[in-house]
Amino acid sequence: MSWFFKSKQVNLAILVASFMIGFVPYFIKVPQVNEFANTLTNISSVVGQFTIVIAIYSQYRRSLRFIRERRKGWVYNIYLLTFMSLMILIGFTWGEHNATYMWLVNSIVAPCSSVVYGILAFYMFSAGARAFRARSLKASLLIVAGVIVLLYQAPLTGSVIPGIEPYAVFLTGTVGMSLSRMFAIAIITGAIMLNVRMLTGRELAFLGFAREEES
Amino acid sequence: MAELLFEIPGVESGRAFGLILILGIFILGIYYMRRGKLPYIRRVAAIDAISEAVGRSTEMGKPVLCSYGTGGFGYAVIAAMSILGHVARTCAETDTRLLVPTGGSHTSYLTRELAIDIVKGQYTAAGKPEMYNEDDMPFLSGEQYSFTAGYIGMLVRDRPGAVIMTGGHSSEAMNIAEMSNLVGALTITSGTYVSNMAALACASDYIMLVDEQPAAGAYLSKDPEQLATIRVVDIYKVLSLLLIVVGLLVLNTTGNDFIRRLLAS
Amino acid sequence: MGKEGVNLLKLMATYDKRWGYLLLFILVLLPMLQPIGMPISVSELTKDYLKQLETLEEGDIVLDSWSTEYSGYMELKPGMIATHKYFIKNGIKLFICLGHPEGLALVDALLNEEIKGYMEKYDYTYGEDYIILGFALPNQAATLAMATDFQGSVKVDWKGDSIKGTFLDRIETGADIDMIADFTTGAGNPGLINHIVLTFGTPMIQNQIGVSLPGSFMNLDAGLITGLLASTRGGSELELLIKEPGPGLIAMDAFTLGHYLLIILIVIGNIGFFGWTKKVSEKMESTTIR
Repeated sequence: MSWFFKSKQVNLAILVASFMIGFVPYFIKVPQVNEFANTLTNISSVVGQFTIVIAIYSQYRRSLRFIRERRKGWVYNIYLLTFMSLMILIGFTWGEHNATYMWLVNSIVAPCSSVVYGILAFYMFSAGARAFRARSLKASLLIVAGVIVLLYQAPLTGSVIPGIEPYAVFLTGTVGMSLSRMFAIAIITGAIMLNVRMLTGRELAFLGFAREEES
Repeated sequence: MAELLFEIPGVESGRAFGLILILGIFILGIYYMRRGKLPYIRRVAAIDAISEAVGRSTEMGKPVLCSYGTGGFGYAVIAAMSILGHVARTCAETDTRLLVPTGGSHTSYLTRELAIDIVKGQYTAAGKPEMYNEDDMPFLSGEQYSFTAGYIGMLVRDRPGAVIMTGGHSSEAMNIAEMSNLVGALTITSGTYVSNMAALACASDYIMLVDEQPAAGAYLSKDPEQLATIRVVDIYKVLSLLLIVVGLLVLNTTGNDFIRRLLAS
Repeated sequence: MGKEGVNLLKLMATYDKRWGYLLLFILVLLPMLQPIGMPISVSELTKDYLKQLETLEEGDIVLDSWSTEYSGYMELKPGMIATHKYFIKNGIKLFICLGHPEGLALVDALLNEEIKGYMEKYDYTYGEDYIILGFALPNQAATLAMATDFQGSVKVDWKGDSIKGTFLDRIETGADIDMIADFTTGAGNPGLINHIVLTFGTPMIQNQIGVSLPGSFMNLDAGLITGLLASTRGGSELELLIKEPGPGLIAMDAFTLGHYLLIILIVIGNIGFFGWTKKVSEKMESTTIR
């Protein structure tokens, strides 16, 4: 029986069928298939959530090894494992609306998440200050454009120099947006081509069938 | 939104032309994949940068850190796997330690398995299967910022000589690129997320913009399917450009918004 | 022995970036503690966003989508507070759908802390005026299910209580939703556009973080979203327009000073580059033995 599930052709057939169930109703009016497509996608998204199990296993394994080997910063791994275990225990025992669980989320998870995001501002700041050098004509034009947009972004400038708005809006709304559009076209076309490769059986790595090395 | 130019009976309103475009990609893709003759693509400058990066790390006795993105199986991540394979092979040949942090989204566990297979395969092909260490490819987290924190931790602890960050990264890419700069690593990134590109261009030593990363992956792997993808993407870019130019000319000269209505259909 | 004088140009070219971090930290912190009250301009983007809000009437139902982690909430907070104050003041009914597990923390942060007093002032009560559906829009499939068969796919709120007998009884499909308000940190939930906006023509407004604005501008230009609030700045402009000052306006002084500091450092860096770095590299070139 295992040959059935290990068979490349069976996996490919299931892939094509799943694709058609999701793809066809979006374009062709087939109401009967819609509901089945919804169920199928819900199943896949639920299965995807189980990655948390892999993350927990990997984190425990890695952190315990760091603690055992007294690697640099090993104390933080004790902290990590302690609170991870605490949150799992409290969440499963008393639920996510429990006051203690919410306190842990609001006092530890949320601020930590905010800090990592907030550091971005400093990193962008230092990257911008470092990278904008007028090494060539193109770089100089880039700096001029960048300074115009930065000036406009500062709220005070708009009230002091109202004439700057059209130039900044042109740079972001016309030049920037056209680049974003071409970007999107390229990425989306590539993604559809990837689907073509998967459906025609030429890209099966994601199903666990490794391509044989060509010598 | 523009009035539709046409409706095909049985097809959802406003989706007919999209269906035609997608079917066009299917037909072109299958044609180029079955053609036999490999489409030509130029050598992307970043490929030399990757070799330079690995060489630098070997000389300094430091590891190389290479990540392939946080998403599931997507266009950019598959291409990044080719680059990961190339880096793994080069590291195996030069006895350089390779670190590959994995995770970052709920679908990243799928790509992790493929990454492990690729790295193991390249080490074996280079005759050094003993170099593979599962702990050098940790699954940090399925959450974006937890993954970022773990990644930064690896950068600070292991101090790699080079950081090659390809594939699909979102806002964590900026954090990682700047931190890798701070630890003195040569940073090569790819901009597959439009919001990141400007910031990564500032923070990285080398950047592959938009299609350069899939092109680099296709060039390195010489995979006919990946090369066909690049060719079809290029064709559609040219087609889009033609539609835009023709549409603008027609709209501004005759006032006819035929192209706009066509695209809205 | 005398000390060598400080070479200003060399300092400008090679200063430690941590001084920049410290300066930025000080310039952001001080105005937050002691606001200066610099004037701000209001962009056309925010004015259009408010015009969209003004199309709503009392009793209209809005799908309030929070597709942001707690970190993104920090940037979207002014816009979220101002928009929700508008909704509350004008009696708009909301059903709140979270698109991220960290959304639980947002419910507490926004509804139970920031605007709790405001809700009490206008007697905006749970069950009558707003309902939280929890993590109801994790992906496109869930959005499609909600859009095509709301009553079939949504039966309980985030705590498991039935939603029967509430204002949500009026919703059968996405066509019955009067507007979508999406607060997101990235691509958000494309299902909202694909399955509700495009299918039923429901207007959608979006509050987006700064780095993801380029993508949202495309949607705005294509007419897929009808109003866009740009990050903290947009939120502060909305606070000014609806005359409800909040954290956004407090942050604008810091915003301005931070941007100006970056421009100053770019200028300093370039002076250092031309005065020092370039000369040093040219000197090295000329003295290199070939």
